[in-house]
Amino acid sequence: MRDRELETKLRLLTLQLDNWKRLHDFITYGLDKARPIISADQERQFTEVRSHLLQETEYVFTALNTVAELSGKAMNVLQRASSIRGVREQTNDEIRRLETEWNGVFTKLGVVQGQLKARRKDLAGQTPIQYYFSRLFSRPARAH
Amino acid sequence: MSLAVAEPRLLVLNSDPVFQDNTLEVLAGIQDLDMRVIRSLSEGIAVLLEENFDAFLVEAEAPIAVEQAVNIRQHFPSLRILCVVPSHKPAEAFAAAQDQNIRMLPSTSSWRLARGLSEFVQSLESASATPSEGIDPRHSLIGNLNQFSAAEILQMSCLSQRSGRFTFKSSRGNSEIYLQQGSVRHAVYGTLEGESAVAEIFRWRQGRFYFEEGIISQEQTVNRPWAHLLIDNLQKLDETLELVGV
Repeated sequence: MRDRELETKLRLLTLQLDNWKRLHDFITYGLDKARPIISADQERQFTEVRSHLLQETEYVFTALNTVAELSGKAMNVLQRASSIRGVREQTNDEIRRLETEWNGVFTKLGVVQGQLKARRKDLAGQTPIQYYFSRLFSRPARAH
Repeated sequence: MSLAVAEPRLLVLNSDPVFQDNTLEVLAGIQDLDMRVIRSLSEGIAVLLEENFDAFLVEAEAPIAVEQAVNIRQHFPSLRILCVVPSHKPAEAFAAAQDQNIRMLPSTSSWRLARGLSEFVQSLESASATPSEGIDPRHSLIGNLNQFSAAEILQMSCLSQRSGRFTFKSSRGNSEIYLQQGSVRHAVYGTLEGESAVAEIFRWRQGRFYFEEGIISQEQTVNRPWAHLLIDNLQKLDETLELVGV
């Protein structure tokens, strides 16, 4: 069976991860000294990815119940990486902090995605009746 | 012969998939559907060039949705396309969609949306049931489009003045190209025939093909020399790839 709520979470998470990957691609490009040219189109695409993340992170993290853990890190990354050119001009310490925080967000989202996919796999092997029976009988006893 | 039924694959273009997600919510509840969401047209073209999808769905205001769908139609003539729009207006957008064989689904009520999407996905399920088969000794050339593109295979066969039938099989369906003395004589793919069928097959990047020597078509739907077809289609492919780069 397919759980609609689970599918929605997975969809939100996949979209969010796609944007974090793209942001990383742009940051990596900005830090690559062998590529001296940053075009206006690249900056526009970077701003677009950033705007998606700024709009959506809070909502998606709330849906995934990860606001407390990720919101601060995500905002730090988005505030520090204001443009590709801005990333290039950062000091080594700032770049290291940026990468660490990006990695923190990406790792957690990846783990949650794995958990949701495992849940989807479990559900795929169950019929709705099996699912509701398993929920009914695995309910913990209430303390008196 | 056994039937290998695959999950239908649907590519959804939605510029705001997190907050404008009525259609996505309905699709999430449909069993056995492989769905991928993209946010821009250029991303959509890039994905369609790389992977096979049974259909393309655009969710936006009618004029924007139809414009994007028509753009996709120009590059992928055989793809099933559905536009989910908020109302029955404007009529011009609906007329333009009909001209391009694009289906329109007004999401005026949630039950209408759910029914329309469910019917659309069901139509894909029946189309994606493709027969599986083994190697046939009559096939003088068998291969995979991942390794050799249709253009390369046809170029080789035309240069060596072959006559026979090429059959291409992918999750998009089956198509045939008939050669006679190194020239393309006839091509068919679904309802497409002639040069438009050749153009479609040129874009396939996944699937299998085989060649049967000596099968000649009575019909002739392609009249231009192979070299012209090749140049035109490679140019079209370049234009498609340029759009991806935008």
